[in-house]
Amino acid sequence: MFLLLFIYILWSTTYPLKGLLPPKTFFLFDPLVIFITSIARRTMLHGIFFCAGMIALTLVLGRFFCGWVCPLGTTIDIAGALRKKTRLLGSRMNSKLRLPKFLILAVILLCAAAGIQIAWVFDPLVIMARFVSLNLIPTLTLALDKLFIAMISAFGLYGWAYDIYRSLKTSVLGVQVIYFSHSALIFLFFLLVVSLALCLKRAWCRALCPLGAIYALAGRFALLKRVVRPCTACQRCRQTCRMGAINDDLTYVKGECILCMDCVYECPSKSTSFKFTLSRHASAVAPGRSGVKGTGITRKSFLFWLGIGLFSTLGFKNKDDKKQGIVDRPDIIRPPGVSDEGKFLDRCIRCGNCMKVCITNGLQPLLFQQGLEGIWTPQLVPEIGYCEYQCTLCGDTCPTAAIPRLTLDEKKSFKLGLAHIDHSICLPWAKGEDCIVCEEHCPVAQKAIHLREENVNGRVVKRPYVDPYLCVGCGICQNKCPARPVRAVRVRPLGGF
Amino acid sequence: MGRVNEFWESLSRRKISRKRFLKFSLLGLAAFFLGGDLLRPRPAQAAGFNGRMKKSIKGDHDIVEANGDDPFVMTVRAIEEMGGMGRFVKAGDTVVVKPNIGWDRAPEYAATTNPMVVAALVELCLKAGAKRVNVFDNTCNAAQRCYVSTGIKAAAESKGAKVYFVDDWNIINARFDYNSPMDGWPIFRDAVDCDCFINVPVLKHHGLTSLTISMKNLMGVCAGGRGKMHFNIGPMLADLTDFIKPELTVIDAYRVLTRNGPTGGSLNDVVDMKKLLVATDPVLVDTYACYLLEKQPLSIKPIPEAAAHNLGSTDINRADIFKFTI
Repeated sequence: MFLLLFIYILWSTTYPLKGLLPPKTFFLFDPLVIFITSIARRTMLHGIFFCAGMIALTLVLGRFFCGWVCPLGTTIDIAGALRKKTRLLGSRMNSKLRLPKFLILAVILLCAAAGIQIAWVFDPLVIMARFVSLNLIPTLTLALDKLFIAMISAFGLYGWAYDIYRSLKTSVLGVQVIYFSHSALIFLFFLLVVSLALCLKRAWCRALCPLGAIYALAGRFALLKRVVRPCTACQRCRQTCRMGAINDDLTYVKGECILCMDCVYECPSKSTSFKFTLSRHASAVAPGRSGVKGTGITRKSFLFWLGIGLFSTLGFKNKDDKKQGIVDRPDIIRPPGVSDEGKFLDRCIRCGNCMKVCITNGLQPLLFQQGLEGIWTPQLVPEIGYCEYQCTLCGDTCPTAAIPRLTLDEKKSFKLGLAHIDHSICLPWAKGEDCIVCEEHCPVAQKAIHLREENVNGRVVKRPYVDPYLCVGCGICQNKCPARPVRAVRVRPLGGF
Repeated sequence: MGRVNEFWESLSRRKISRKRFLKFSLLGLAAFFLGGDLLRPRPAQAAGFNGRMKKSIKGDHDIVEANGDDPFVMTVRAIEEMGGMGRFVKAGDTVVVKPNIGWDRAPEYAATTNPMVVAALVELCLKAGAKRVNVFDNTCNAAQRCYVSTGIKAAAESKGAKVYFVDDWNIINARFDYNSPMDGWPIFRDAVDCDCFINVPVLKHHGLTSLTISMKNLMGVCAGGRGKMHFNIGPMLADLTDFIKPELTVIDAYRVLTRNGPTGGSLNDVVDMKKLLVATDPVLVDTYACYLLEKQPLSIKPIPEAAAHNLGSTDINRADIFKFTI
C-alpha cells in the first residue's frame, strides 16, 4: 500500500506539482533524516514534529513502520519471497546480526554532533526514493513511450491511437522522458541492498538499517506486545519470523518485531496474539536464561566499529569550511539558491526529488567530481537542460531545505553562475556570421547577453556580449548554442576562477 | 550413483531448454524484424516537393486592419471582412492554428500570441464546420510551462481545439523542387497534413531579423536544431513559407514588444498598439506590419527573399487595405 503511495508521490513530482501530497511527505516522517540533519546543521526542520509523532506512535505500537509503511521494506519482502527456503539462524547469531545497525546509528549520530550529516548513506527512504525517481520512473516511461511510438509509426496510427498517446503523455507519462547520468550505479546500490534479502530475509532491516535502529530502540518500550498462550512449542513461529526476532526459547525481542503478524497467522494452535498490556510477562513463554538481554553490544566491539565508522567517514569528508577543501569546487553548477557548498553537502540527503522534478532534466546526479562526499548530489548540466527562469520546483520539493525555497523574485535574481563566450568557437566572433541564438533565448528582461553591431572585414556582424551584472547563469544560452561539439557559450559557477 | 544420475539429468534438461530457448528467441526476433518490415507502410519514394499545395483562396481585401479594445471581437470582425471563415475552412476540414507559444511568459508581456485571438479563430473554424482544430508550437522554454503561462492552452481548449505538445519523432523531411537550404529539414507532420493552416504570430522585436512576424513564426513547425537556421535565416524562412503556404495569416499587434525581444519580460518594453492584421499573403502582411513599426521591410531578411521567390507581394501602395475600428 505505502509502496504504491510512495511511487505515486514521486510520479507526481513533476511540473505542475499537483499531486495529492507534497513530494517530501515521506521524508517529513523520517526521523533519521530529519533529526540527523537538524543536529548536524543545528537547526529545526519542519518535519521534526511529525517525527516526534512517529516516535510516540512507535512507543505505543512498536516497530510498525518497518513492517507496514517502509517502501524499501516492502520491496525487500518481495525480493525475499523469491526464495522459498528460509534460512534459520539461532538466537546467538540473530543477536549478533542485530548489532551493526545500532553502531551505524551511533556513528551517524556522532558525526551529526560534529556537524557532518551522513544519514543519507543508509537511510531506507532515501535509497528507495532515489531508485524510484532516477531508475524506476525513467525506465518505465521510456519503455512505454518507445512502445507507443513503435506501434504508432509502424502501423501509421495517426488517428485515435495518437490522440490516446497524446493525452497519456500530458497526464500520466510525462511530456518528456527523463534521463539521468550513471543511473545504473544508483540502481546497483539499490540492488545490493535489496538482494541481501536473497541471502537472508529482511537482512538489510535486521542488520544494517539505521532508521530501523531508531525504531528498534523506541519499540522496546512498546505497549503492544506479543502474547503467547501455552502452546506445543512447535517452533513454527520461530521458523516463519522474517526478522529473526523470536528466540530459541520462543520469547521474542520486541525491538526487532515489525508486527508483520506472520507468527499470528501461522500459529497452528492459534495461541499467538498481540495485545496492549503494561505487564512485563503476559506471555506464557517466559524468557529463559538463554534469552539474550539488551542489544549485546560489548565495549570492545563498540569501539572497534566506531573506529571503522569514523575512519570511513573521514574518507567521505574532504572539505574544510575555511580552506574550501581538497577539491576546490570544480566546474559544478548547483541548483538555484545554493550558495554555501559545505552547508549544502551537509543538508542534501541525495533523495533525487529535485532531479526528478526538474522540468528541463538539467539537474543531474554528480559522481566523484566533488569527491566521494558529493556523490549523487544535484548539479545543473546546461548541455542537457537549463534552469528555467520562472521555475522554483527544486527548492519546493527539497525535504531538508538544502535547496532553499525561493520566491519567484528571489529565484529570478539568484546567480547560478556566469556565462562566458568562447570567441574561438562562437560563430559571429570566429567566422563573422550572424547567429544570435544565445541573445534570443536570454530570459533576463534587459538581456544579459546583448548584441553589438561590429564591422568585420567590411560586413556588419552582430556579436554577443555578456553583461556580468545581469547574467543569472541559467544556462539556456549554453543549452541552445548551435556550436558543436563544444558549445561556444559556457556557464561557469561564480568564483570558479 | 544417484547423485551422478541427477547431475546428468539436470545437464540434459538444461541442454534441451537451451536449444529451445535459442530456437524460440531466434524465431521471435525474425518474426519481429520481418513482420515490422512487411507491415510498415513504405514511404512513397516520389522525389520532389512534399509540402502543402497552393489553394489560392483570396479574401475580399488584401489586408484587413482591425483597431479596437477587444481582441476577440476584433478577430471575429476582421475575418468577417475578409469574407468569413467559411471561405477558408470547409466542413470536415482539419485546421491548424499555429500561434506563438514559444516563451514562458504571461500574455501581458507580449512575447506570445494573445490567447483571445487564438480562441476567436478556433471558434470561427469550428463554426465553419472544421472537424478538428489543432493548436501547437515547438516551444523554446519548457513546453509544459509555456502552454500554461501564455494562457493559450486554456483559451483554445475552452473553445474546443486540440492543444498538444509536438513530438520530435512525428516528422517528415522537407523536400523541394528546387535547391533549398531547408532541404531535408524535419517538419512536424501535423503542420503539413492539414486542410487549412492559419498562422497567428505576434508582432514583436527580434535581435536578428529585427522584427518577428509571420514567416519567423513558422519556425514553430520545425523540429531539429533550429538554432542553425539563424545562420541563413532569410532564404530558410522564405523556403519554409513556401513549404507550409499558410492560407491565412492573422498578426496579433494588440500588445507589441518593441525592445529586448523575442523574450521580453518587462512591461516597459510593451506598447499597446491595439491592432490586428488579417491577410492571405504572408509577405504582403509582413511588409505592412513593418511599416506599422516604422521599419524598412527590405531590412527584414526573409521579406526580400520571399518576394524574390514570388511568394507574395511587397507592394503596399497597390494593395487593397481595409481598416475599421470597433
